[in-house]
Amino acid sequence: MPEVSYDASYDAIVVGAGHNGLCLAAYLARAGLSTAVIERRHEEGGGANTEEPVMAGFRHNMHAQYMEFFDIMPMIQDFHLDEIGLRTVMPEVQAGITFRDGRPPIVLHRPDLLDRTHASISRYSTADADTFVELKRLAINIEPLIALNLYNPPMPVPPEGQLAMLEGAFGHAGLGIGPHWLAKTPKALIDELFETPELRALMYRITVEWGFPVDQANTGGGFLTFVLWTCGNWKLAKGGTHSLAKAMTQACYQVGVDLIENTAVKEIVVRGERAVGVRTSDGKYIEAKKLVASNADIKQTLLDMVGQNHLSQLWVKRAKAFRYGPSHVLGTLAFCLHEAPNYLSARWDPDINNCFYTVVGFDGPDDMIRYIRDAYSGRLPEPAAGTWVNSLWDPSQAPPSKHSLTGWYFFPPASSLSAKDWQEVRNSYNERFLLKWEKFAPNMTRDNVIAMRLYTPDQMEHKNLMMEGDFSNGEFSVDQMGQNRPFPEASNYRTELEGLYLCGPSSHPGGGMHAACGYNAYKVIAQDIGLPSPLVSERGY
Amino acid sequence: MHKRYDAVIIGAGHNGLTLGAYLARSGLDVVVLERRHEEGGGLCTEELTRPGFLHNIHANYHTFVDLAPPIEDLELRKNGVVYVRPEVQMASIFEDNTALCIYTDLDATVESMSRFSPADAETFKRLYTEAHGYVDLLLGTLMFQPPMSIKELTGALGTFGIEDRSEFLGVKLRRQSINQFLDQHFEHPKIKAHLAFHGAVCGYANDVVGLAIGFPLLIGKIDNWNLCVGGSHRLAHALWRDLAHHGGTLITDAEVVSIVVEDGQATGVRLSDGEEIQATKLVASTVDVEQTFLRFLGKTTGASADGAGDSVKEDAVGGISTELIDRVESRIAHQDWTLFSVHLALSEPPYYEAAEFNPDVNNAWVVNLGYESLTEMNRDWQDIRAGKLPLPKPNAAVNSLFDTTDAPAGCYTGLLRQFAPFSLEQEGPGGWEIIGRQYARQCIQTWERFAPNLSSDKAVLDWVPYTPLEISQKMINMVQGDWMCGAIKLDNMLDQRPLPELGGYKTPIGRLYMAGSTQHPHGFITFGPAYNALSVIADDLGIKPWWRRI
Amino acid sequence: MPDIYTQPWYEAVKDTINQEVTKLKDIPDGKWVLAVEIVADGVSPYVGGGADGAANLTATGADERHFLIEISDGRCNWYKEVEGDYGDVELSYRFRGPATVFDEIAAGITDPIDAALKGAVKVRGDMRLLMRQAKHVKVLLEAYSKAVDTSWPKGKPPYA
Repeated sequence: MPEVSYDASYDAIVVGAGHNGLCLAAYLARAGLSTAVIERRHEEGGGANTEEPVMAGFRHNMHAQYMEFFDIMPMIQDFHLDEIGLRTVMPEVQAGITFRDGRPPIVLHRPDLLDRTHASISRYSTADADTFVELKRLAINIEPLIALNLYNPPMPVPPEGQLAMLEGAFGHAGLGIGPHWLAKTPKALIDELFETPELRALMYRITVEWGFPVDQANTGGGFLTFVLWTCGNWKLAKGGTHSLAKAMTQACYQVGVDLIENTAVKEIVVRGERAVGVRTSDGKYIEAKKLVASNADIKQTLLDMVGQNHLSQLWVKRAKAFRYGPSHVLGTLAFCLHEAPNYLSARWDPDINNCFYTVVGFDGPDDMIRYIRDAYSGRLPEPAAGTWVNSLWDPSQAPPSKHSLTGWYFFPPASSLSAKDWQEVRNSYNERFLLKWEKFAPNMTRDNVIAMRLYTPDQMEHKNLMMEGDFSNGEFSVDQMGQNRPFPEASNYRTELEGLYLCGPSSHPGGGMHAACGYNAYKVIAQDIGLPSPLVSERGY
Repeated sequence: MHKRYDAVIIGAGHNGLTLGAYLARSGLDVVVLERRHEEGGGLCTEELTRPGFLHNIHANYHTFVDLAPPIEDLELRKNGVVYVRPEVQMASIFEDNTALCIYTDLDATVESMSRFSPADAETFKRLYTEAHGYVDLLLGTLMFQPPMSIKELTGALGTFGIEDRSEFLGVKLRRQSINQFLDQHFEHPKIKAHLAFHGAVCGYANDVVGLAIGFPLLIGKIDNWNLCVGGSHRLAHALWRDLAHHGGTLITDAEVVSIVVEDGQATGVRLSDGEEIQATKLVASTVDVEQTFLRFLGKTTGASADGAGDSVKEDAVGGISTELIDRVESRIAHQDWTLFSVHLALSEPPYYEAAEFNPDVNNAWVVNLGYESLTEMNRDWQDIRAGKLPLPKPNAAVNSLFDTTDAPAGCYTGLLRQFAPFSLEQEGPGGWEIIGRQYARQCIQTWERFAPNLSSDKAVLDWVPYTPLEISQKMINMVQGDWMCGAIKLDNMLDQRPLPELGGYKTPIGRLYMAGSTQHPHGFITFGPAYNALSVIADDLGIKPWWRRI
Repeated sequence: MPDIYTQPWYEAVKDTINQEVTKLKDIPDGKWVLAVEIVADGVSPYVGGGADGAANLTATGADERHFLIEISDGRCNWYKEVEGDYGDVELSYRFRGPATVFDEIAAGITDPIDAALKGAVKVRGDMRLLMRQAKHVKVLLEAYSKAVDTSWPKGKPPYA
């Protein structure tokens, strides 16, 4: 083989400084590997980004908003991220839904304040309040199972096992759990469990945000476990979500990781059947003596960077078949406000004005379902949103006495609309939402808005290569989850090329600020090349 | 965050990070606390217009590359910084579509000037050659060490007989404006205008008496304008990496509200969320004087928290005398002009009509659009000081010509900067919220006049104004939009900056140091304040100065 | 008439300094060690072999000559040539430049302050102290440049 000269050489190259890539890099470097992370953008963190996109001093999280995994995330413990910049707030008032006619809101509180949640739901139905609170209590207990699921390569769980798990966790609630539960859609399950339309609407929204399309069969069980566990379990990263990326980067810097920014990986160089380095947008060849791990999605990694000629036909076919969206395709609205919204529904319960997360613009479950189905079918829904006024809980996120409001619209995938149409959406959609919003919260007039901006899926694509604006880098559907993510042969973070690994959210468990893709990739790599295990005995995962 | 560090540094601008990195390399346990969610201060790069367009919101020009010791001491290139020094550094384009260029190649500059005035071109050559020669010595003497008094300096210059040895440098410059200097040595109005424009971009207004003293030094490095590849924020990352790699910690979103003082010694800081961080060896503030002395010390420290308003001042809290508080309130001088910017996303670079006269203008980095004479500049300074908006004569920079990573493929990131007032005559600073977009449009129109291709619909994809008001809101240490963090004028230089009693990086509070751009030398990416404060701190703490490479 | 860069020449410079210093009013306290580094430039015959020796510049150190001077309370204690680096010696200042420039300074035809000001000789060290002790510094420089009657066995600058 001819001698190849390289411009730089590392043991390990991680493609992409998203939070999963940073996580993997930190573990690799701590294990003694010389490690570089190569990032296309000028900033680290991928979807963990916080900017001032509208006005100086008003911060907005452009992608990830809430943090539910901080208590179980291994990297936070292993690298003491709380000592190097990661600080959190867990708002007492977690989530709520509010209504145009000013009827009572539904407000969910922190898990240690479930009596207040109970009181809120009881305004509509004591039975639903009882059910919700009991299920939520039980769901808190399954946290170890959630952690095991997230922080391990996907494990096969046969239907009997899943059923046994549900029985074990929720059996004595008298729900009549049986095999048919596994086949249900989340919507069917929610409708069976709760009679209150207002509660159903909120549950639909949270379910979709977790990643389970409400009409997808065979994911109903996931509502009981993941969605109920996550519900009201949200923290906000003080200073903005980017502070997670910052703390991770600082951990990387401490252990000597080189972060090479503004540099795109154009090619993962393969010799024989082994990944040996990368070629970058500035024309450099960087050697990877032990491994290359890609935080980019599976299509970009295999089809764009490796190239079909280095892959088997099956792998090419599988990669091509991988789908983005419509789940988790979002638009981010960013408003700079004089006052936080003051909702009509607050006359029943002022907590709705202090919610960490407030769903606004829906009058009931039918609205919500229509909205979701529109977005999933490539149509622009009537405006409505989930919103966060982070400055209520972290004043640093807006100038003194002002407020910074960020929200998500569910949008159709980027390719559903032309560039011109998206431009039109950016110009008008917030205004349309505002007209509706004012009905729910009379102070949300144009005068209360200092400035606003909308970030659309086509822009997410350009910014972070989140194709179609899909926050999860790949549809959340039964055939692309767990052992099927991104496809069965690639589900354990290894690829068919020696030395090439996957560490991004197109692998299990998908999108979200859990750093599990990076952590699990490290476990697999550690096994393959003989690095120390990250396992801490008391943690168990 | 820990509860205790050896050194607590307030502000993660380039000075805070630099000081932090040196101290961390010296073995101290360092924390750098930043109010914003991003480190870097003026080293701020954001996708203000569209994804992939990297706009340097504040610092764009790095003129101390390879002159400032930290670049080597902190191995900033190894830590990821790449600099490009464009061949055509600057240009002035005039109404008649002639153009003057400054090149990294002196002969090319001289040739460009001689098309206007062969005599001036010769003078410039002598001036540059002389000034370039002593840049090294003067930077070492003036910028990268704690300042001497102007008296000491004058005395030494006299003893060495500088006046007789030098055509351009001399003690008398301290009584002259840049205008006077230019009138004395040069004849052609356009050449004078260009050189004055260059000084203004460096923060030196040409009509202020005394500023001629720094002018030869500016000329000596007129060809050292560097662009930080990937945006200026990359330098912040490199400094942060060095800090963290040597055991220091950066904490963003950590807003200091007070400095804790016990027995006249700074012992820590308190954050806005109530957390208290102890500093066992030192606290260094790299933010503005007003925040440091009025907010962190003046109003909030002291035994009785119930005393509100003016009564607090009488308490002379935390070892700060009421005199000092009064002087900070009344004597801190800020630049009486600032910058209005327009950030643009372009699908093509500007093609100037003046390229017929000199094709190199299309490859020039910093382009002065239209200042033709000192008189024009003088008039604008007067307007600006009166709060009036001058007719735009912006300067344009398209970084993507030299750094393809700062825009999507085939696109260009553009910057227009216009000298402007902070407070508008009628509406005050708030007026910018009303007038900003309109003024931006006028600035763009001026650009289009010189580069007509930009007026096509598809050339300018997007643009966003960034007003003086926003400067003061985003970087609150840039009081009144003052990106120099203190006026550039003779009585605010050297050991007099920002006040005589605060001029040596020390304060009346023990173990409290000032290490930001409020101090000598001044704002801009100089690294000087941090580097010089480091010397003082090292002397006080007995740190062996490993960085002093003699 | 000592030959340039020989022990007697250093001694002569030293003596001149010590005579001149006594005339100053304020003699600075403290000890300074100065290094003078004369770099071969292919012209001067005293370092690296001059025009003919230019091709022979090697890593042996012959392409540079290093001198150390110790000043204590204004007086020169010693002045010597050293091989290679300075070991544990802590320098206060370093003056570095091409041999021709140093030769011309020693011959009194180039002004040392000019040479420093124009960057021909690079100065490293605490500039503030240098400026504050300007009068004393001037004595040192003049001793080097004018006071010693020097002989030039391989030719005297200006070189052709």
